Amino acid sequence: MKIIIIDYGMGNIHSLNSALIESGCTNVKLSSDYKLIQTADKIILPGVGNFSKAMDLIKIRNLEESLYDFVVVKQKPILGICLGMQILGLSSTEDGKRDGLRFINGVVERFNSNGVKIPHVGYNQVQTNPQTVLLKSLPELSDFYFTHSYKMLSDEDINQSICHYSEDFIACYEKDNIAGTQFHPELSQKNGLTLLKNFIEKF
Amino acid sequence: MLRKRIIFALIYSNGYFMQSRNFRLQRVGDISWLEKNYKFKEIAKFLDELIVVDATKEHKDKEQFHKVVSRLVEGVFIPVTAGGGIKSTLDAEALFNSGADKVTINTSIYYRRDVVKEIISKYGSQSVVASVDYKLIDDQIILYSRDGSNREEITLDDYINIVHDLGVGEVYFNSMNKDGTGFGYDVDIINAYSSKFTMPLIVAGGAGNEKHLHEAINIENVEAVATANLFNFVGNGLPNARKYLLDNNVNLARW
Repeated sequence: MKIIIIDYGMGNIHSLNSALIESGCTNVKLSSDYKLIQTADKIILPGVGNFSKAMDLIKIRNLEESLYDFVVVKQKPILGICLGMQILGLSSTEDGKRDGLRFINGVVERFNSNGVKIPHVGYNQVQTNPQTVLLKSLPELSDFYFTHSYKMLSDEDINQSICHYSEDFIACYEKDNIAGTQFHPELSQKNGLTLLKNFIEKF
Repeated sequence: MLRKRIIFALIYSNGYFMQSRNFRLQRVGDISWLEKNYKFKEIAKFLDELIVVDATKEHKDKEQFHKVVSRLVEGVFIPVTAGGGIKSTLDAEALFNSGADKVTINTSIYYRRDVVKEIISKYGSQSVVASVDYKLIDDQIILYSRDGSNREEITLDDYINIVHDLGVGEVYFNSMNKDGTGFGYDVDIINAYSSKFTMPLIVAGGAGNEKHLHEAINIENVEAVATANLFNFVGNGLPNARKYLLDNNVNLARW
């Protein structure tokens, strides 16, 4: 099993790399090279920070084509994490309106600050959708680590699992070969490692 | 439901981890000592986050500290915040590249706000924790920078406005009077100010046992309690403290 973490200069891949190894994947590589990416069994799109900047870097490093061919043409598995999960969606309102990769029917908006602090930081309970592969064998309410100011919403059934922080938002989704987690599985102790193991072995 | 957090802070200076008492540092052991005596990977399972700060007074050896950060994050699946002496975006970048998920910034909040802004615009609000050290002098809250050595003129209210405007993701609110005493958190001040912070608030300084953690974590608008006390929480101290809090129905993550 070869997993490639997409390298576009956004975010800490240190913990992700060691979490994947801990979860049983011995062949983990970091790359932005088209050919190498196509040889992966599965890929992970990480990311923290600004949506527009991330999209700029995806374009600068010619990753749009790599991702499109891998995910849409070949229908191979991808997991987006945090900002990576968001840019798989249609668009975000961070810095005006900006299109994402548009693989998933989800839009990204800033949290309403109805009396809650922003960013949403810490472990929060996710209502795990029993239909999903990634959350298999995890309890109905499972704690995962979140750190974000923007949230994803969707009007389509993308097998979402919901989290609540003054309002409901998408904690994770999986549709066909595309999965995304708003939270960081690599920073979520045993629950996160279980999810990554499910991604490696079952997704 | 968003959980509250227990954070362990490691104070590092010149190759060693330190016990701090009112900001006077006492050498405890190096990273091998820490791994041996704290079994850090095991202990981390009972923590929600880890902070490591380079408090070396003069001539910080950045490369050596980066190595320590890389070694600490290895096999630890919780967020790690690192800091100490960040004066440029490159300084922050080097810590992120060493495996830190967030950086903590103290003195540059007063003197290099353009740098803080740049880090936030590049890495996002959630990646910056502003650390503020304060002392109570004649019932006045006085802020200090440069590892507690430099008295600042601005008030805590000003400071809160500044970090709000900068878009800082969290604040680490540290009492120098209580630091390392083990006498408990500065509960009166925390109660008086916690609701003024518009971002998640981590309180630090004074935890000596699980009852202190319990007292502070239940304060409204406190999102996390931190302790840097290597002596009081050695061995099973942290696992036992977490169990105590869970037994007392504190809203902590469960794994």
